[in-house]
Amino acid sequence: MKPLDPRLIRRIGPARRHILVTAGLGFLTSLLILAQALLLARMLAPILSPAPLDADGLGWWGRIVPEGARSLATGLALLACVVAARTAVQWLQERLAHRAGVRVVSQLREMVVSHVVARGPRWGASRTADVATLVTRGLDDLLPYFVRYLPQLALAATVTPVMIVVVLGLDWLSAVIVVATLPLVPAFMILVGLVTQERSERHLEAIQRLGTRTLDLIEGLPTLKALGRERGPAARVRELGDAQRRATMGSLRVAFLSGMVLELLTTLAVAIVAVTMGFRLIDGGIGIETALAVLILAPEAYLPIRNVGTHFHASADGLAAADAAFTLLDGADGARERTSLGPAPALRGATLTVAGLAVATPDGTRLAPGPLTFAAAPGTVTALRGPNGEGKSTALLALTGLLPLDAGTVAVAGAAVLRDDAAVDEPSWLAQVAWVPQRPDLGPSARTLSLGQRQRRALARAFESGRPLVLLDEPTSHLDRASRADVIARMRALADAGATVIVATHEAEVLAAADAVVEVTATRTEVAA
Amino acid sequence: MSARPESDPTVLRAAIRDTGVTRWAIARAILAGTMALGSAVGLAAVSAWLIAKAAQMPSPADVALAATVVRFFGISRGVFRYVERLASHDAALRGVVTLRERAYDRLARSGARTVLGLRRGDIVARMGADLDAIGDAVVRAVIPVGVAVTVSAIAVAIAGALIPLAGLALGVALILAGVVPAVLTARSARIAAVAGTRARAEVTAAALSAMDGAAEHRVWGTLDEADAALAGADRDAEHAHELAARPAAWAAGAQALFQGLAVIALVALGVLAVRSGDLDGPSAAVVALLPLAAFEAMGAVPAAVQQYFRSAAAARRLAELTAEDAPEPAAPARMTGASSLVLDGLSVAWPGAEPTRPVTATVDAGAVLAVVGRSGVGKTTLLTTLAGALPPAAGTATLGGTEVSPALTGTTIAMTAEDAHVFGTTVLENLRVARGDVTEDEAWVALALVGLDAWVRGLPAGIHTELGPGGRTVSGGERRRLLLARTSLVPAPVLLIDEPAEHLDDSGASALRAMVSRMTAEGRTVVLVTHDLSLLDLADAVVSLDD
Repeated sequence: MKPLDPRLIRRIGPARRHILVTAGLGFLTSLLILAQALLLARMLAPILSPAPLDADGLGWWGRIVPEGARSLATGLALLACVVAARTAVQWLQERLAHRAGVRVVSQLREMVVSHVVARGPRWGASRTADVATLVTRGLDDLLPYFVRYLPQLALAATVTPVMIVVVLGLDWLSAVIVVATLPLVPAFMILVGLVTQERSERHLEAIQRLGTRTLDLIEGLPTLKALGRERGPAARVRELGDAQRRATMGSLRVAFLSGMVLELLTTLAVAIVAVTMGFRLIDGGIGIETALAVLILAPEAYLPIRNVGTHFHASADGLAAADAAFTLLDGADGARERTSLGPAPALRGATLTVAGLAVATPDGTRLAPGPLTFAAAPGTVTALRGPNGEGKSTALLALTGLLPLDAGTVAVAGAAVLRDDAAVDEPSWLAQVAWVPQRPDLGPSARTLSLGQRQRRALARAFESGRPLVLLDEPTSHLDRASRADVIARMRALADAGATVIVATHEAEVLAAADAVVEVTATRTEVAA
Repeated sequence: MSARPESDPTVLRAAIRDTGVTRWAIARAILAGTMALGSAVGLAAVSAWLIAKAAQMPSPADVALAATVVRFFGISRGVFRYVERLASHDAALRGVVTLRERAYDRLARSGARTVLGLRRGDIVARMGADLDAIGDAVVRAVIPVGVAVTVSAIAVAIAGALIPLAGLALGVALILAGVVPAVLTARSARIAAVAGTRARAEVTAAALSAMDGAAEHRVWGTLDEADAALAGADRDAEHAHELAARPAAWAAGAQALFQGLAVIALVALGVLAVRSGDLDGPSAAVVALLPLAAFEAMGAVPAAVQQYFRSAAAARRLAELTAEDAPEPAAPARMTGASSLVLDGLSVAWPGAEPTRPVTATVDAGAVLAVVGRSGVGKTTLLTTLAGALPPAAGTATLGGTEVSPALTGTTIAMTAEDAHVFGTTVLENLRVARGDVTEDEAWVALALVGLDAWVRGLPAGIHTELGPGGRTVSGGERRRLLLARTSLVPAPVLLIDEPAEHLDDSGASALRAMVSRMTAEGRTVVLVTHDLSLLDLADAVVSLDD
């Protein structure tokens, strides 16, 4: 798995900036760790050396920390500066990571939402559940990715190489041990992964199956209660749970192996570095100052790699969320190119004719509505009637022009405005159309209103808009009797004032108020074809 | 958000006690964890001693033991860490299994009103993810904190044995490095729980409104407003997160600070002790380098605090699920014989909702009552009340002269809800939900009654075919008929059927007719909720909830 999604860097400004900042802070951290290690070596060497120290045991790297640090006072003062700086860098790192994380999440969320909005109603509807989960919860997985994982990745990319280079300058043999073990870490982890893959896949499948069954049983509790049969399944819940536990432990025994390999290799390498240096010190093959510096630096070379392993899940979840978002953003939109028929003609006073209008269902098995033909004159109410699922709402949506037709023509005073391959310019058409869908939305502030209240507000907006074509979808649902009568009266008044009203309904009172009733029926695709 | 966060610790403690995870299991995992991180401390201490000792150029035999110990610690860390992870996960998983069984049992025993009022998503979230979160409290909070305490104690003991003052300094620094970030993380988690949750809700509403209402926004030209609302909600969420991130950043800084201060103090103490001749060089090196390894365990504390808050919230939600009403009396006697169901001025409502208009009707044994009304008017609520699961808002519902009560739910008055569950098991077992001893022959009769026998015969394994979890592999109409067949096998004398017409075609409606006439012929009382006015000729009485 890639540790970084290139699309995040390329397309999300805050992400790109933050990755640069994190890399910079990582490099700064590596310098501070280095300074701390060299300072400790300088300070401890005089008390451990059997003879007074003469040569600089730190070689070229001694330039970072002056020899004067061998005196306790100077050493402690410098150490205090390093500690203060490390504290500040830690604070800054955490602060910036949180800030960048939420910015990235916000920006991706806004991109996904405007993408969905631009794709049109059908496109969104078929994916609503997935997209809603992604937008409201899924993208939040990017936060731990930015706060926990990326900084460790930056440290692994900066601290580890810096430490290896320094150790190489100090004591090449220790550097060889470190460099030789580093590639073993991924190699062994991959090996363990390959050997155990089939086993863990089998386990995962069992775990998922058992989990689904348990939840299925639990989901059915209200049903069992209503039939007086709720007492039995507790034992079955336990049995399934135990089986799931055994399967999970089986998979964990395998999954934790790679973690063990990682820890084993890294700590063992540090131990070997210490032991070899110990015997070389006895021979006088290495100085105490050098040995102390290497002893402190060697574990630091491995630490970021171990931490990257620890935060692997943060990485996997975060990248999966980013991938889901980018897949959505880059996916084929399925929108058909429609040629422009120019600006829409004026609707007021003109008859709207619908000829053979048909829209395929998302699964493509039916046309709902099947070919639909009617004419709606100004000053009349046309009711669309038919069982649920036959395409009444879809017909209204198609008349707004937002949902492309699959066949047929919509014309105003004989001039086509909507065809399967062409449409008039959207703004000029929509400015003349008032549409009230079922369960109107009206924006986030209206979400706290009851369905009935929203319905009334949405209807009022349509009635007062003065737009010549009014499309109402089940306008009387969710309303009490008095409001229903009021809505029907206002609908009638609107038509009498010259508007073209098309209403989808199954209510007898609404049908009675209509000038014409059109039956809407769906057809199977093969019949239509 | 709950108004009583202060009760969280008790609720979580009770939940953890309910998992039945023993002290011994936790102690075992802490012991393994201590051996793992203790190995890291040991490796740092012994390798410092080895290097310092070797610098004095002794004979190789003098450091041979230390070299072996260093190699041992180099291996033991990884091995014990593996043991610890297995031990802690095993304890937690066993705990979750026990807790799930107990929670299920408690929920099954709690009142009909609680159970029938459950929403499907809630019950799955509580018994699934929330239970797992309580188990995570063991793995990610209790055990890491336990390990941090024991490993710190070991490090303090080593430093203190060599230089008492160094032990004290290291102890103070370790406590501060644990407590200060813990307090700051707790504050961060509280801010996130209050401001963060509110801001998230706003973002969710704005995002869903922008997407669900996209077509409306385009028609009415309010796209920009919807975008601005989402951007505004996003900015507010960023601000809320910023507030929570501030203490978290200080927590990260505090850890670095206290570790650094410990390094400074112990180096100074070690060097001074050697200079004054109180300590040999190798021991001073151990003291000076100990803080580099001793703080690793404390590093897990902030994550443990965050886990604690997540688990406590999960435990609270779980407790609220079952806390609502007192458990019903055990083993209610099934009422038998012919008795009339009487609705007298009955008005129903879930708590806080608008009551329905009062209705009055009498249904004798073997008769059918139909309940009609527009959607959302309270027909299902009426059925739930008649089932005894919900007290009437006004008026009474009596069966054979006694008021219906939760004791009658299921046993005497059985109900098949509109969203009744089809289990992920065989067709036969799904029918046996009605009665455990349904024979295969009885099952076929019931299937034939609702016209589903041909469909079942066409399934790969007939009546023994497994249906997908939640019955998602069957169509709406088949599901309805299967539920009708199940209802026909229920032994209760009163059957309440919530029957939306949507999924039933004409032949489905005739299946319903056949089933209802069979039930009435057996002398059972049927109450039917329906949208389909053509079914009303089935009914001996009709009540409408429309005003």
